Amino acid sequence: MNDLRRGLAVALAIARKDAISELRGRQAAGSTLFFAALVLLLFGFALGPDAQRLADAAPGLLWLAIVFGGLLTVARLHQLEADDGAFEQLALYPIDRRAIYAGKALAGAAAMLVLGALLVPVVAILYAIPIGAAWLPLLVAVVLGAIGFAAVGTAYAGLTVRMRAREVMLPLLMLPVVAPLLLAAVQATSAALSGDPLGELGSWLQLLAAFDVIMLVVGAGTYAFLLED
Amino acid sequence: MKTRILGFVALAAVIGAAINGLFLVPADLNQGDAQRIMYVHVASAWIAYASFGVTALAGLGYLIWRDLRLDALALAGAEVGVMFTAFAIWGGMMWGRPVWGVYWQWEDPRLTTTALLLALYVGYLLLRRLTDDPARRAARAAVVGLIAAVDIPIVHFSVIWWRGLHQGPTIGDPSKILHPSAPLLFVMALLAMLGAFTLVWVYLLIRRYQLARLDWQREDDVRRGRVEAARHVIVGATGAEEPAG
Amino acid sequence: MTDAGFVIAAYGVILGGIALYAAWLARRLRIARESVRRRDADVDEAG
Repeated sequence: MNDLRRGLAVALAIARKDAISELRGRQAAGSTLFFAALVLLLFGFALGPDAQRLADAAPGLLWLAIVFGGLLTVARLHQLEADDGAFEQLALYPIDRRAIYAGKALAGAAAMLVLGALLVPVVAILYAIPIGAAWLPLLVAVVLGAIGFAAVGTAYAGLTVRMRAREVMLPLLMLPVVAPLLLAAVQATSAALSGDPLGELGSWLQLLAAFDVIMLVVGAGTYAFLLED
Repeated sequence: MKTRILGFVALAAVIGAAINGLFLVPADLNQGDAQRIMYVHVASAWIAYASFGVTALAGLGYLIWRDLRLDALALAGAEVGVMFTAFAIWGGMMWGRPVWGVYWQWEDPRLTTTALLLALYVGYLLLRRLTDDPARRAARAAVVGLIAAVDIPIVHFSVIWWRGLHQGPTIGDPSKILHPSAPLLFVMALLAMLGAFTLVWVYLLIRRYQLARLDWQREDDVRRGRVEAARHVIVGATGAEEPAG
Repeated sequence: MTDAGFVIAAYGVILGGIALYAAWLARRLRIARESVRRRDADVDEAG
């Protein structure tokens, strides 16, 4: 019980530290958001001026933008540590590795959530999507998607951060793993936006939640092996 | 020596199973000769899944026991598995064109899952190439292999639901694809091919494992050689300074 | 392409690919064994 509380305190401290450095280094987080919004704008050019076509594709485009922005976000959160050799220091502390993972994943999920929450209105404006009553299921989908992406991203960013060619390796390793997350999130979003006529929204949200739980467990269990090298 | 005998047995078995599948088994009434592709396609897919199972278990074993031999086994599984995954996709495409009219069918959950499988394990092999330190490479690879292994069922379910929630199953399970107009013969031909592929698989795993062990031994020698050379230089330098001091 | 063409393409690539991989493995194994043997000989000479 005491261990759990201690681990929780460590996780929160790490997440808080990351949040502070994110807020102080606003340019980096801001440029990631700008990049994701730019991607959404370019999708508009790629798919032409047909409003209906853009509206149909909107859920997929939203989540692709979140995934691209998310890759940059999780990489940045680990780069911070690696640049100053802080990882080695972190690994020296006599604390549970799972707490370190939880802290990094929490910070990652929070950053992803902000990114997602800001991109939804961008999509709504650019592609003329009326959100209306769908905001609640949309929010749930974004929260679950953010957690899942951060759960995988924290493990893979920890893995690639001290590697050669990490800029390529992170997306290359991570994108196939988050493919089911992308699929479920897009389906949930389009179900939410269309008022869920087929009653499938709940199933997709459950799949997202299952993905989150499984990846958090695996990530927490294996993070120690990545820290020690 | 034993491995060599296994190799010859496997070769004979594959030739036999191929002749059986190509010439002896009658053509399917619905699918015609294209049905024959199913034997190598399904066998490749099964072998691919088995390989990735080996990789995941060997990786897990490495994390527990820290034995580099297990890492060599994980590498062998991943490399052989990637090859058979590519073959399964190729076979599926060659079968899909005459039967479905298209090479790629997004609605087939197994095809889409297999494509992601290929991407997952190509990434695994690339990761291994980009890490030099043996212990670090083994640990990183084991983690990636484990994450990939737990991801596969999620991918599979999500892709099944993708179609399933919109429409009933159209292209279904293996029993439907084998479309029995002469069921027993077809199943026997498939099992024969599967048995032959399993022999080949075990042979290739052993060979790849042996190669990995030898390669690492050489890497190790090179590294040790460098340390040895560096020691000579240092000893030489201090030795030269001593008389002056 | 006829059905037979697709069958030949499938069997040819898959069985041919396995054969090529096995041959590549055998070749690399031979080279690796050779180099290990040569190193052992060097060590024996030096020691």
